[in-house]
Amino acid sequence: MTERLVIEPDLNFIKDVGMLGGEDLKKCYQCATCSVVCPISPDNRPFPRKEMIAASWGLKDKLVKSADPWLCHNCGDCSTRCPRKAKPADVLAAIRAQAISEYSGPKVLANALNNPKMLPILLLVPAVYILIMGTIMGKIFNFQFLNFSPEGTIVHAKMVSTWLVDVVMLTAAGFAALTFFNGVKRFLCDIHQNALAEGKTTQQAIDAGGFIQALIRTIPAILRHAKFNECTENKERGVSHMLVLFAFIGLFIVTSIFFVAIYGLQIHGPYSQLNPVKWLANVSGVALIIGSILLIKTRMSKPDQKSAYKDWLLLGLVLGLGVTGMGAQLTRLAGWAGVSYAVYFIHLILVWFTFAYLPFSKLAHLVYRTVAMTYAEFAGRK
Amino acid sequence: MNKKYGVYICQGCGIGESLNIEKLSEVASDEGYSVKACPALCGKEGVELLKADVAAGVNTLVIAACSPRVLYDTFRFDGCIVERVNIREHVVWSHPRTTWLAPTEEQKDDETFIDHVQMMASDYLKMALAKVEKIKLPEPYKLDTFTKKILVIGGGITGISAAIDAAKAGYEVTIVEKEAALGGNALKWRKQLPTDYPYEKPMAPVIQSKIKELGSYPGIAIKTGTVVARIAGQPGDFTVTFKKPGEKIEFDVPFPLPPEMRVDESGKELEAEKLHARYLEYNQGRVDILTSDPNGEKFGAVVLAAGWRPYQPQENEYAHLGFGVTPDVVTNAHFEEIAAAGKIKRPSDGKEAKSVVFIQSPGQGGGDQDFPYAASVTSLVALKQATYVRADYADGKSFIIYQHMRTPGMTENFYKAVQQDPGVFLTKGQVTKVAKNGAGLIVEADDTLLGKAIQIKADLVVLATGMVPATKDDPVINLAYRQGPAFRDNALFNDYADSNYICFPYETQRTGIYAAGGVRRSMTTEEAMEDATGAALKAIQCLESVNRGVSVHPRSGDLTFPDFFFQRCTQCKRCTQECPFGALDDDERGTPKPNPTRCRRCGTCMGACPERIINFANYSIDSVSSMVKAIKVPSTDDFDEPPLRILGLICENDAYPALDIAGMNRLSWNADVRFIPVRCLGSVNVIWIKDALSKGMDGVFLMGCKHGDDYQCHFVKGSELAEIRVKKIGEALSSLALEPERVAQFQVAIDEYDKIPQMLQEFVGTIEGLGPNPFKGF
Repeated sequence: MTERLVIEPDLNFIKDVGMLGGEDLKKCYQCATCSVVCPISPDNRPFPRKEMIAASWGLKDKLVKSADPWLCHNCGDCSTRCPRKAKPADVLAAIRAQAISEYSGPKVLANALNNPKMLPILLLVPAVYILIMGTIMGKIFNFQFLNFSPEGTIVHAKMVSTWLVDVVMLTAAGFAALTFFNGVKRFLCDIHQNALAEGKTTQQAIDAGGFIQALIRTIPAILRHAKFNECTENKERGVSHMLVLFAFIGLFIVTSIFFVAIYGLQIHGPYSQLNPVKWLANVSGVALIIGSILLIKTRMSKPDQKSAYKDWLLLGLVLGLGVTGMGAQLTRLAGWAGVSYAVYFIHLILVWFTFAYLPFSKLAHLVYRTVAMTYAEFAGRK
Repeated sequence: MNKKYGVYICQGCGIGESLNIEKLSEVASDEGYSVKACPALCGKEGVELLKADVAAGVNTLVIAACSPRVLYDTFRFDGCIVERVNIREHVVWSHPRTTWLAPTEEQKDDETFIDHVQMMASDYLKMALAKVEKIKLPEPYKLDTFTKKILVIGGGITGISAAIDAAKAGYEVTIVEKEAALGGNALKWRKQLPTDYPYEKPMAPVIQSKIKELGSYPGIAIKTGTVVARIAGQPGDFTVTFKKPGEKIEFDVPFPLPPEMRVDESGKELEAEKLHARYLEYNQGRVDILTSDPNGEKFGAVVLAAGWRPYQPQENEYAHLGFGVTPDVVTNAHFEEIAAAGKIKRPSDGKEAKSVVFIQSPGQGGGDQDFPYAASVTSLVALKQATYVRADYADGKSFIIYQHMRTPGMTENFYKAVQQDPGVFLTKGQVTKVAKNGAGLIVEADDTLLGKAIQIKADLVVLATGMVPATKDDPVINLAYRQGPAFRDNALFNDYADSNYICFPYETQRTGIYAAGGVRRSMTTEEAMEDATGAALKAIQCLESVNRGVSVHPRSGDLTFPDFFFQRCTQCKRCTQECPFGALDDDERGTPKPNPTRCRRCGTCMGACPERIINFANYSIDSVSSMVKAIKVPSTDDFDEPPLRILGLICENDAYPALDIAGMNRLSWNADVRFIPVRCLGSVNVIWIKDALSKGMDGVFLMGCKHGDDYQCHFVKGSELAEIRVKKIGEALSSLALEPERVAQFQVAIDEYDKIPQMLQEFVGTIEGLGPNPFKGF
């Protein structure tokens, strides 16, 4: 007696997938063209055909608890070839957005990130947080962390103290890390259960050693964009995405070095433009701007592909980070004090936004896709 | 008619290059015919030549040129006998001189040289000359009394539409409905399938507005609470007796004796008089078919729109699906009634039914077959009914589990629109079980698109049962025909009233009676309305053809009809019994009474008649026999190694055109065969086969349509009957020490032209193996 799948369609899930860009989902008539044309789909239980029927039948658990939607790189080969224009790529993107909401608590925050009306409030939070923290810390340490009328040569730390910036950003990063920790723990457990139930794994249990080895094997592939390069429809996107990813890595290195410089070596900024670390910072900043512009251009040139709010939010944020970062520096060098301080403050808000909301926004794919790909490597899913 | 002959030979299209026209002309001129050759007969010069000759009194033209299937109008001369000799497709184009060498200058007068192509052309010309000697110019058959009124049986959407369409075309119509009110099944529906662009939403049934529209035509008489007791006579002159349903009257139609009553104790067929006595006894209280009702109403043609009833499963037929076990498993017809009454509720306890599973295929032993009498309409009805659940409840869910989801034509839009609803779930799958689950139900299905065996909780389960034609339960038409009151062989069409799936919609197996709507096949309202138009037009075509004394279909416009030489009739009744259309009614002694307007001119009676007393003006036992005898059969007196001669009797409907197509495509076939076109293989009289063999021909084959389940015969039974007759002749041949393999029958479809050369080659091979006919040269 085979175990029967009990069907209990979740009508709200179907509606949500529709609102997140998968509104053509129901057009699917299960021909499986998508699974055939997908260059990166595994041979055993390939996607996205099975995801299409599960989604149109509202079987939420089968989808958000599966690693497969994350193996998809949204190249769009399936959507281009779909005879019914059901846009499987966009459906999988919508499923991923649902999974992010599912694993990142609190849910209110996840929902707010998917709601354009909430954007002003979400932006206001870091501004208010910086001001409150600055005031409180000022009272406690009896030090002026905030000064909205700095004088003399432009030094951004004169307006918002580096100490304050670090406290504010580290709390945001800590919150994100904690959220991710909880989410990933549940996510990994669920995708393993799902893989066991659907016969998609060779492993009975997850052992840490094996998993870490799989991670070591996976990371170079991610950096090389090996999967991206298998796509035919959207090849140029691989390059743009690579620019953005390496820009973030570059900026992470720069930030780490300057963190050491400030707290270890007591060297305070602004640093000389001749400093090689500064070169890396500038190259990364430019790469971030170019990469994000290219990504935006690609999306705009593909009217077939659905771009939901979540997509524009992330691209806008990345571009904003690059523009405000470089803008603050250039206006500083130009000596435009007022503009420079204002742009810097916006930059701080966006950086905080990125850190704190990371587990809730589309950027969370950084973590979930890495985990899913690592799991696939670990489970021998090819 | 005093025949004045003219023979014309065309030299165009390669004929002149391939054949020795002079020699060919001599074939006719040696017999005293006037022969004219022309570079291109269909050209201006050629046509003028023909016209001038006709004006000068030529009335029997033998035109040796292209196939009679092309340039029909160019070579049509009214009031003249025109015989076309197909020396283009069947001779020159299919037998190139590269294979069948022309004689060289030295060989030209060499008597021992065998010029196959020239011999073939010369045979065909001789055959045509023999034929025109024997045939007559046909004269139309006119009825003494003729009525143009149309009777529509059935007052549902189809009947109403047909009546309106016929009235719009200016014909008087009477519509009869068994029930007390018009409307039929459509009255019981909440919504109907869309009939207009964009074909996306169910719509209010059109039946009420159609009933209203019907009332606005003064030429339409409406009889409700009425059925047909009998329809006697023939198209153009039907006498119809009406009665109330259930009533017993003397003009109720009599039934033929069942087979077990036709024999005596020893199983021998009774004599005619005894049979008749039994027949009278069996039908006591009912007048014989040949007695006309003096009070009957006259009609010219009938549209049969008697409709359908929902299929009602037997007690334990679908027990595995819970039907009959729980009241919450219903048929789609029952579900429609529930939906029409208000919000969808469970029959068992009246609770709201928010989760409904629609099962399209019963499974269990039946493989992936749908329910009986189902078709695309049952798929569409499931989609329609799925929308009811969604309309009634915001959280309603409709599941459709199908083996086939059939949404042809514009209904694909409807499918797409329903599929788009987030609360409608579709999957292919095999339902294995429906079981009770507390107050509700559990549906289990295997092999679904979800990749796993699934289980769905349901409040209500709906079975997509089909539409049973009214003619399944009752003859309805009650024809006063000797073959019986109902259609014959409807089992070939899954009980629907039809005569050919593809080529002849609306035509039933009875001329003058045209089926439309649910009685013809299960269909949607939109299709039924279109069907009604088709059947009404067919009825009109019938009236207008009968009025001019020509055949309706499939030989539309044919002026001939079977002519019986009764003095020699032996009352064997074969013609009466074998006629596929019930055209003949025999009297108490068994003498056939022809009803020419019922006839479709296939000649099956002519093929059946052992006395050979049934003939057509331009197609007779004698005309074909003469053609057979005109074929020159070479013997050892002529050549050291004489070529074989094989006769092919070719069905005009599919096989002959297929040969033409083969010729047009320059496919070649054996040059030893000679073809004679026949109206239908059913018209082949075995005497022709005997004539051929006794003349020394080495083999005979019949080539016609497929028969059996997927038959393509234009006359339903012709090719099947021919096969039976050919088998019988095989036995007779053995007694003459001739091998039965010398006679064969081949089935071809019109698109199988490319297979014909191989077929012929194999048959010739068989004959070569048997050796020449020993009767040759006698």
